[in-house]
Amino acid sequence: MFELIKIKTENLSFSYNGNRILDNVSLEFREKTITAIVGPSGIGKSTFLLTLNRLWETVPQSSMSGRVKIRFDGKMQDIYGNGMSLTGLRRKVGMVFQAPNPLPMSIFKNIAFPLKLAGIKDRRTIDENVERALQQAGLWMEVKDRLNDSGLHLSGGQQQRLCIARALVLQPEVLLLDEPTSSLDDASAAVIEELLVNLKDNCTLIVVSHYFDQVKRIADTVFQFPYNGISQQ
Amino acid sequence: MNRFFEIFFVIWSWLSALCLVGAVAAILGFLCVKGFPALNVELIFGNTEPLSALLLQKQVFDGLFPAIVGTLCLVVLSVLLAVPLGVAAGIYMAEYAVGYVKTCCDFLFDILAGIPSIVIGLFGFTLAVFLHKNFSDQVYPCFLISSISLAFLVLPYIVRSTQISLEEIDPAIRNTALALGASRLQNIIHVLLPRALGGICSGVILAIGRCAEDTAVIMLTGAVAIAGIPRSILGQYEALPFYIFYISSQYADQAELMRGYGASLILIMLCTLLFLVAFLVRKRIAYQAFYKA
Repeated sequence: MFELIKIKTENLSFSYNGNRILDNVSLEFREKTITAIVGPSGIGKSTFLLTLNRLWETVPQSSMSGRVKIRFDGKMQDIYGNGMSLTGLRRKVGMVFQAPNPLPMSIFKNIAFPLKLAGIKDRRTIDENVERALQQAGLWMEVKDRLNDSGLHLSGGQQQRLCIARALVLQPEVLLLDEPTSSLDDASAAVIEELLVNLKDNCTLIVVSHYFDQVKRIADTVFQFPYNGISQQ
Repeated sequence: MNRFFEIFFVIWSWLSALCLVGAVAAILGFLCVKGFPALNVELIFGNTEPLSALLLQKQVFDGLFPAIVGTLCLVVLSVLLAVPLGVAAGIYMAEYAVGYVKTCCDFLFDILAGIPSIVIGLFGFTLAVFLHKNFSDQVYPCFLISSISLAFLVLPYIVRSTQISLEEIDPAIRNTALALGASRLQNIIHVLLPRALGGICSGVILAIGRCAEDTAVIMLTGAVAIAGIPRSILGQYEALPFYIFYISSQYADQAELMRGYGASLILIMLCTLLFLVAFLVRKRIAYQAFYKA
């Protein structure tokens, strides 16, 4: 089956504090697949994810060169181009971090938070989207009776699924996951792996992972970092 | 040697902490012993009926009531002036200022923090004189000038506490809302400021204490011995610290000195009350920011 390229990096280099972390990385990511990025610690895997939603720009003393293009509305667009809105980009390219980071508010408010940021006020739209996101993240049945409880009272695995639901509520086209299971036990990790495989119908996923067996189970494509242009599976 | 030094250091730390606690206890104890006997309704309301004084129906001439109200109003207005300015400046310093501008501002805020209060008082006095000469001869050293000067005095506390508590926030939390499509300002309002509230509140509490106790500023900018309840922000007023200074520098007999101790005790209780209010407000704001909004 012919699959469209969703994300393309061209000669991407990144330096932090004068140290070069990424060097001329040119990669392509196919639409609606799971791509895993593996490799030893400190090699720039997480940094690479940050270049795809421009979150590195908040880090002082860092610089980037090269281009990143993502296909939005059927057209490859340079995400560092002038016409690209930063908040708009981050609504389409969601991100889940290594440690679950729910905000100190209720479960419902956590999920509704990105909608609030996007200026959506209609109560029904919010309710519907929150329920859909929680269902997509496989958390709805577990929390539907206690949506007003604090998000911090959930277990680690539930918190991470809460964060995934929160990233999904705006229906992003790309989801970046930075070692999403590394702080969880095996059972919770398995739940999230299954969830990720289900998500790829709607979304292009890029997962940074330490665990090679996990990668083998879920990834369609694997890139080994440090990237040398040949380690594609 | 090493082991001896460790034991010595532990004992030294203990003694230092004990010294501080002891000093505070001694001061408070002394004040209580001296002040409590003087503390009665007459000290506060003089010969006036308390209820009619509280309802502002009758003036209190020989009690502390006008000074208590004066200090309370002074603290409230000064803090209200200083908080919006200080928090906004702190946000600028932590979130927006970079490089040379930041170094410069850092330096200037340090200087502002180091200015003695008597100099700030002189600034307020000069301001009043300037306004009197150039704008209206109705302007004298007054309640408003005192509040503005006190606001300047406490501004550095609020700027610094805001800046530090924002800068201390974990980068992971900093990125949470940004990754969800928050603009920089949305991130500050919805995530960073609620997180920093505790620190900002500590700054405000310091500021309250400083506004309530400072005497040098107010004696140059409008506090007087007898003025009654402050009726206008352009009028003169009474304040507790000024009363304490006044009475202890020229008391005629033991009874008057005792009134000074009573006033000190009331000032400390007033500060405690204001701290409590600040804590409650902080809890309320944190709740609003996270759970209600």
